[in-house]
Amino acid sequence: MSSEEKFVFESLQDCESIRAFLEALTEGVGSKHLVLSSGGERIELYPQGLLQVEVKARRKGGSSKVSLKLEWKDAPRVETTDRTLSVSSN
Amino acid sequence: MITFEGLSENFRFLVLEVSGQLRATHEFMRAPTRELFDRITGRDDYIDNLKTIIENKCFSRIHTDNSLDRREIHRIRAIHTIAVNLERIADFCVNILGQMAHLSDPGRLRADEYDPIFTEIEASLNRIIPALEKEDLPAALAICRSEYELDRLYEAVFHRILAEMSDGRSVHDRITTIFIFRYLERIGDSLLNVGEALIFSVLGEKIKIKQFEALQKTLSTSGFGDSLSDIDFRSIWGTRSGCRIGRVERVRGARNSTGDAEGGGGPSCDTDVGGGNGNPAQTGPDGQPRPAPGGLGSIYKQGNKKKIIKERDNIARWSTLFPNLVPEIFGYHEDDDSAALLVEFLQGCTMDEIVLTGDVEILQNAMFVLLQTLHEIWEKTATPGPVDTDFMRQMRSRMESVLQVHPGLRREGVDMCGAGALSTEQLIDRCEAIEKTLPAPFTVFIHGDFNVNNLVYDHTRQAVRFIDLYRSRDCDYVQDISVFLVSNYRLPVFEPALRERIRWVMREFLLFAIGVAAERGDATFQARLALALARSLYTSTRFELNHHFAKDMYLRSHYLMERIVAHGGSWESFRLPAEVLDCGCNAIMREETPCALAS
Repeated sequence: MSSEEKFVFESLQDCESIRAFLEALTEGVGSKHLVLSSGGERIELYPQGLLQVEVKARRKGGSSKVSLKLEWKDAPRVETTDRTLSVSSN
Repeated sequence: MITFEGLSENFRFLVLEVSGQLRATHEFMRAPTRELFDRITGRDDYIDNLKTIIENKCFSRIHTDNSLDRREIHRIRAIHTIAVNLERIADFCVNILGQMAHLSDPGRLRADEYDPIFTEIEASLNRIIPALEKEDLPAALAICRSEYELDRLYEAVFHRILAEMSDGRSVHDRITTIFIFRYLERIGDSLLNVGEALIFSVLGEKIKIKQFEALQKTLSTSGFGDSLSDIDFRSIWGTRSGCRIGRVERVRGARNSTGDAEGGGGPSCDTDVGGGNGNPAQTGPDGQPRPAPGGLGSIYKQGNKKKIIKERDNIARWSTLFPNLVPEIFGYHEDDDSAALLVEFLQGCTMDEIVLTGDVEILQNAMFVLLQTLHEIWEKTATPGPVDTDFMRQMRSRMESVLQVHPGLRREGVDMCGAGALSTEQLIDRCEAIEKTLPAPFTVFIHGDFNVNNLVYDHTRQAVRFIDLYRSRDCDYVQDISVFLVSNYRLPVFEPALRERIRWVMREFLLFAIGVAAERGDATFQARLALALARSLYTSTRFELNHHFAKDMYLRSHYLMERIVAHGGSWESFRLPAEVLDCGCNAIMREETPCALAS
């Protein structure tokens, strides 16, 4: 089983700086290559094909929340040699 | 681990037994059987006996073994407290079984609701032995924190059942279900006591200390008589600054006896207090402390010599500048490495009590008096600068203590497809470099620990008075401003009406401060305040065990540092993003010329 790669970043921002973050991520999605790093950890994602997108919004008791989730299956890496065909997951 | 013959073994068994009892109760909730019921109730007697054995051994050891040092005594006391609370947890398990009998449909208890509760409790029980053996503070704190998690889980169940009850059906079963979950929530309360006992065992102090309990009570006794053996010394709280503090008053009905001070007065309050080495100006002709005026008792502080001397000298300086602003000194004594101070017990309430419980009119009065007092102090003690500030140095020096309590409250630098954020250390470094270019234009004599609970308001005299003054010094007034604001912000009160009062206090204070800055032409005030608030918000997290609230302050602190770094220069135009204090000042703070409200 492959090990899990994870990136988490939590901070408090105003709308201006959030916009900068979102624009950078949008660009990453557009180029189908997202690079996220924190300290020495780095994760690279390659969105492609059909992506499941989920947008949720909620307002309750004076607090609001909007979340955007993109999910996709990585394309299997196909390696062929003269005599064998091997398929593995990225 | 210090070994106590048999005691450690008994204690270990108790923890195991209670863990077993908990698992069996969990099992019983899933599938109640007569056999399991009998097993659990039968084991409860054994647990009771075990607790009594431990209790006896603890008391007997403390009473008979004179070779025990303070650390060993702390550990025995912790073991005792934990044993009492473990036994209580076992009792709650039995109580749950009792309630189960009233349920007509045990299926009404939802495993998805109680499973996480049991998991949380079990994890905490598993931490007890290692935490005690390794003197592991983070593990002790994790046990404390589990109470918040259990409260949260209980609240969710409670609200779910309450909402369902509106249909008027199965009321009996639903109330019983609430009772059952309530017992699980109360186990959380006992775990908090266990965690605090473990902290006490490690530090010899409680970390979350109730504030100035003694000020809430009316004193019925008069001041001191001729002999301090008539004094009842009660430890109220140990401060975080390492001093032991107690209230001292005459024992009700005591006669003036001599020579038995140690037995009657408690070990910390001996006859030297305020005696031989006392400040001559504050002691009576016989060298004894002067009686406290108005029949009030006194506050006795004993601890680090440097700090006590500093406090004594600061009180003296304050008294010269502003008579009646600070408590009077009745006595002072020092030995090789510690010193003791006996000071006036001030009448009134601490400002946090006024903020949270006082009438609106009293709160408004108190704030008015406070702001007037501050204005006068700043006016009178202002000395032209420039003078460097050290907010970032303070932040860096307390970072380790913060991380000991909340290991996750620092971040690495991140890069998200080209958009980046600096790490905690990088932010502090950058802000420190900026701070060097932002000296304060003048200094005032500051309180130094201008926490809302270090102010006492006497409504009858319409006076605000300062306590805990060992950090007073000539410094940037921004230091006191930020500490006061954040000490309000961090009051762990979330009830909307009370929170609004706290907001009002912060708003009034902030607008006053910004008005003073405008009056004095302090152009970089808002930038310095941003740095100071970043420091106060971050360092306050080490006193806050509610992780969600601590994280909120940590995030706000980082936001402020980011704003400072992003601004870069021309500090006169920097506007404090006052929304970090959530007090409704945002629009006003953004105005080009803040209105002068101080006059």
